[in-house]
Amino acid sequence: MTSPTTLPTPVLTATNLSFAYSEHLVLHEVSMELLPGQVVALIGPNGSGKSTLIKLLCGLIHGSGDITLRDQPLRRWRRRLLARTVAYLPQSPTYEPADRVAEVLRLGRACYWTAFGLETDHDLATVARIANLLELNDLLDRRMDQLSGGQRQRVFIGRCLVQEPAILFLDEPNTYLDLKHQVDLLKLLQTLAHEHHLAVLMASHDINLAGAFADELMLLSEGRLTARGRADQVLQPALISQAYGVEMIQIPSPDHSLLFPKLC
Amino acid sequence: MLLLLCAAGWAVAAVGSMMVGSTGIGWPKGELIWSFRRESTLVASLIGASLALAGVTYQAVLRNPLAEPYLLGVSSGASLAVFAWSTMSFASLQLANISQQAAAFTGGIATLAIVFLLAQRRGRLEPLTLLLVGVIVNAINGALFLLIFFLARSTDLQKAFRFLAGGLQPDLAPSQIITVAILFAASLVILLAISGQLNISMLSEAEAQSLGVRIHRLRWAAMIVASLATASAMAISGPIGFVGLVCPHVGRLLVGNDQRKLIPVATALGAALLAVADASSRMMGQLPVGVLTGFLGGPFFLFLLWQNRKTGGGA
Repeated sequence: MTSPTTLPTPVLTATNLSFAYSEHLVLHEVSMELLPGQVVALIGPNGSGKSTLIKLLCGLIHGSGDITLRDQPLRRWRRRLLARTVAYLPQSPTYEPADRVAEVLRLGRACYWTAFGLETDHDLATVARIANLLELNDLLDRRMDQLSGGQRQRVFIGRCLVQEPAILFLDEPNTYLDLKHQVDLLKLLQTLAHEHHLAVLMASHDINLAGAFADELMLLSEGRLTARGRADQVLQPALISQAYGVEMIQIPSPDHSLLFPKLC
Repeated sequence: MLLLLCAAGWAVAAVGSMMVGSTGIGWPKGELIWSFRRESTLVASLIGASLALAGVTYQAVLRNPLAEPYLLGVSSGASLAVFAWSTMSFASLQLANISQQAAAFTGGIATLAIVFLLAQRRGRLEPLTLLLVGVIVNAINGALFLLIFFLARSTDLQKAFRFLAGGLQPDLAPSQIITVAILFAASLVILLAISGQLNISMLSEAEAQSLGVRIHRLRWAAMIVASLATASAMAISGPIGFVGLVCPHVGRLLVGNDQRKLIPVATALGAALLAVADASSRMMGQLPVGVLTGFLGGPFFLFLLWQNRKTGGGA
């Protein structure tokens, strides 16, 4: 248990991260850290470098700068061990329409399988535990193409959690979800972080929802980290207007003010 | 348990096939006929199993339900290399059997590389483009075969027919069968060992990597091993079509898409299918098995193609 006066040790630290596609600089000297039990939302306009930053932090691509995961440079992590610590959900996860939910969940244990893909009792128990946690028990025998968008997204998050990671990266997980499912998903991520001490970093286009559920917001603009902090610190009309290139109006609400683009 | 069931299923088909001869159905009378049928069934099973194993692997790695050694041109490339090799005078040396395998493997891999090179567009392989290129490469391999046949002034029409129609090579030396059996067994063990990871290869590259799989290395390893299995089979037969297409799909209907189950089931189905096709071929006056698999696989392929187009051409 962490005492109230000391901050938990960061599970991941990134220093001066830069990345360029050909000669186009996508990310410029971004430094950040992720704490266990914290939901961080990455906001910013299209092309601001959100997806690139997530891929760098997952070790899927490599740029300049340093990333330290559990006190060890990310580059030195073996792929299988990395998959047991870091899980990643892309914007459009792939699936075979005929695959059953249980089969998709079990794929998350691939980084623990031995040769011949043999599964241990612990593997099966973990899948059952996560299915229970995400209320997927009734869906286990259903085909993926028979699920709603919200159910499918829960299955993919389940596949990530089955990896038993310390960090969960999600690239715009709310895409294709209606409002109710968006709220359900964010509540779930909040629970996972606060009750299961998972560090969650998600890219989001909905700044108000992100502000309502995330413990911290990171604002990226043209590859630079322009603001980081609580929702009331980052969701400032001037900051957001500058980043998104559209004038914003502020509407007060009980928790924090909401921002909307000025339409006329 | 599943492996035992697969072996038992194949054994039933093989024993049943051995009871079928050119003169009718019944247990073979005389050691000579028994020995002939046993060898023929074993060779057919080995070839069928190798092709089905390769087919299921290609389909998983390429994320393409229409991929199989014959349609990709691997079979004809390997067969062409064997034919070219055997027409050369030095093929009768002591190492001829092994060099025949090497020629088959080189031909198969070279054809696969050419097909990939021509079919890929910015690193992506579209199912229908891949098939189209496979068909063209198959046609070129056929023309090359006829050219070599003409230039060598060969009079061995049996051999030519075997290449074109997909027949099993008769009068095989035990060492040839043993070589194919060893290569098949090695391929099967390797692919079973990575079968869990092959499940992941159905996902996108980023997802596969985030699940701990080095996807490029896996794909290359699987493609090479599958081509080795195809080539070893083609070293003792002509290009036999559609076994690698039909068996994985039937296997999927039985056990789903989990490669850990699908690989042994499809392989056993391939072995059983070609053993039965070989028995049928005996009944029909030694008709090449490739003709029979063509009759079975052709309509099945058209059905899959139609289904693939209906779903938008995706894998």
